[in-house]
Amino acid sequence: MAEMSVIWLRVAAVLYSLGLLHAILTLVRRREHLFRVALAAFTFGSVFHLVSIVEEGIVNNRCPITNFYETLSMCTFLVVVLYLFVHWRYKVESLSVFIFPLVFVMALVATLGNPVSAWSSPVVRNAWLTVHIVLVLLGYAALLFTAVASVVYLMQERELKAKKPRKFYYRLPPLGTLDELISKSMSIGFVLITLAVIAASTWASIELQGAWIRQPRIAISFFTWGVYLALVFLRTTSGWRGRKAAIMTITLVCFSAVTWAAHSQLGSMLYKP
Amino acid sequence: MKLLITGVSHKTAPVEVRECLAFGEESLPAALADLKSRDGVSEAVILSTCNRVEITITTEDRSDPQAIVEAFLAEQKAVNPGELEAHVYRHEGKNAIHHLFRVAASLDSMVVGEPQILGQLKAAYAAAKDCGAVCGWLESLMTRTFSVAKRVRSETGIGQMAVSISYAAVELARKIFGSLSNRTVMIVGAGKMSELAARHLRRSGASHVFVTNRTAERAAEMARLFQGTPVEYSRFTAMLPEVDILITSSGAPHYILHKDEMQRVIQARRNKPMFLIDIAVPRNIEPTVNQIDNIFLYDIDDLQEVVNANLRERAKEADHAETMVAEEVDRMMARLKVAEVTPVIVGLQEQLEQIRAAELEKTRRRYGPFTPEQEQAMEALTRGIINKVAHGPISQLRNHAADPDGAHVVAAIRKAFHLQD
Repeated sequence: MAEMSVIWLRVAAVLYSLGLLHAILTLVRRREHLFRVALAAFTFGSVFHLVSIVEEGIVNNRCPITNFYETLSMCTFLVVVLYLFVHWRYKVESLSVFIFPLVFVMALVATLGNPVSAWSSPVVRNAWLTVHIVLVLLGYAALLFTAVASVVYLMQERELKAKKPRKFYYRLPPLGTLDELISKSMSIGFVLITLAVIAASTWASIELQGAWIRQPRIAISFFTWGVYLALVFLRTTSGWRGRKAAIMTITLVCFSAVTWAAHSQLGSMLYKP
Repeated sequence: MKLLITGVSHKTAPVEVRECLAFGEESLPAALADLKSRDGVSEAVILSTCNRVEITITTEDRSDPQAIVEAFLAEQKAVNPGELEAHVYRHEGKNAIHHLFRVAASLDSMVVGEPQILGQLKAAYAAAKDCGAVCGWLESLMTRTFSVAKRVRSETGIGQMAVSISYAAVELARKIFGSLSNRTVMIVGAGKMSELAARHLRRSGASHVFVTNRTAERAAEMARLFQGTPVEYSRFTAMLPEVDILITSSGAPHYILHKDEMQRVIQARRNKPMFLIDIAVPRNIEPTVNQIDNIFLYDIDDLQEVVNANLRERAKEADHAETMVAEEVDRMMARLKVAEVTPVIVGLQEQLEQIRAAELEKTRRRYGPFTPEQEQAMEALTRGIINKVAHGPISQLRNHAADPDGAHVVAAIRKAFHLQD
């Protein structure tokens, strides 16, 4: 991508990051604090994004959809425009919890098309990777907790539906308490995994200089994150509980296990001479 | 000292007999004073509730506690002991302690685990204490009884499960929502049970109650009871998405809420759980509504089933409680046995001290006077000897006090050291 185009795209990504912050606060604190600010930043971001795309088209004298990063940038821009239109037309704020993080991560990945300078020191490189690993592990712990709580929720729900109290009815916690636990652990897990994805994308783009995006394990990671995003969105907007939520959480745990397996040698990259 | 507990309870006597023996709150002090003043009576407690009338007394060894109580009842209540014989139970010594612990722990109650009995027993003890009818051994037994009851309640689930329909509804609501604060309740129709359930829910933290009825005045009247809001009957379905707990008890001869309608309600609530309590007969809510995710529908039979399950669970917990009470009785008996041998130990020590003092005096007369240093040495020497001699028997007394053959050990030591009874 052209140098100026990437700079405009980076400015857009920074503005989109306010949307991510809004989504995180909404999930963790259950209240929408920053929506107006985030929406304004999102709108301004879209202007810079448009400038980036136009710049790229003018410099290369073609429509900027010839490589992965350009296509991703274009796709992100279209999602942004579509969201702004839907919001203007229907005022669906709840969609922002899903769209804002998605747009930010897509824009971030699109900016990583141009190789960034190499590591200034091995310490920074290792610290960066360590932060990613720690965030992922914490996120997985929260996700596992969510899955266990979802299964317990299912068991208690079954007892209550059956109307014949047995041992579990007396021993298991109330559905309301479990639901609260699931919401909190799922939100915290999502925030941790999102930060881990951001840390990993930037680390990989510096480390592998453009070749990172072609690796299948990266695709698996983004896919898993996407499933997590969808789960969080469905729970926040449609109140997915009980069986549906439990099945989706367990599926997500399976995807996460595959992602972990695909990155099993990541630890060995830590202390590269 | 003798301990006797005698009386009648819901298990042994019908209400006609129990009411003849009952002591009112006003007559209790005089009755206690009368009982305490009788020859041989050391302490007394009278427990009088709707389910039991029970007299606990301690007397001197020479007295017959049963005869004392019979005479007391004959005078106080003008009853013939012969007529009561078939209904009265009597427990003495260890059995009496066991019975008292069971009563306090609510193991002998009509509804096992109900909490009132402990309060009633405490009130009976307080009344006896105010009259000076308990002031020694029985006082410590009663204190121990309250601790045992507290332990049973805290270490078993005997009092945790609801055993009435209205409480079962509250318990289920807690199982669904966790905390009931900020939950809204709606009552459709009027009825004693729905009113009771709503009252319990309100007391458990439910934030607001809506009331609807075909008769608007009745709805307004009921709403006032709960500081709630009356809702027009024609509008109540539109308000359902705001309601967490719905209690229906209207007299409608057909279902007033159907599956399709509730499906829309739960969608409007964004799948937030909803608890429907249908206590109307014929039922007000289509039973298939329970198939909808996040809706929990209970009719009157379902609630009764929960109550039955709770009673079964309480019975299981009662088994644990019985074991706990038996342990506590053994512990109490061991403590009493140790207390019983204390006079023997004191007697033994006094006997040996007398021997020591007499022998020292004899030595002084024969070889004295001695210097202060010599006196000190002799003191230390003789005291050391008697302590060593006493150590063995005292240890035996303490160790075997609670054993079944403890009495033989006590008798043997008394004989060996010529101790008086």
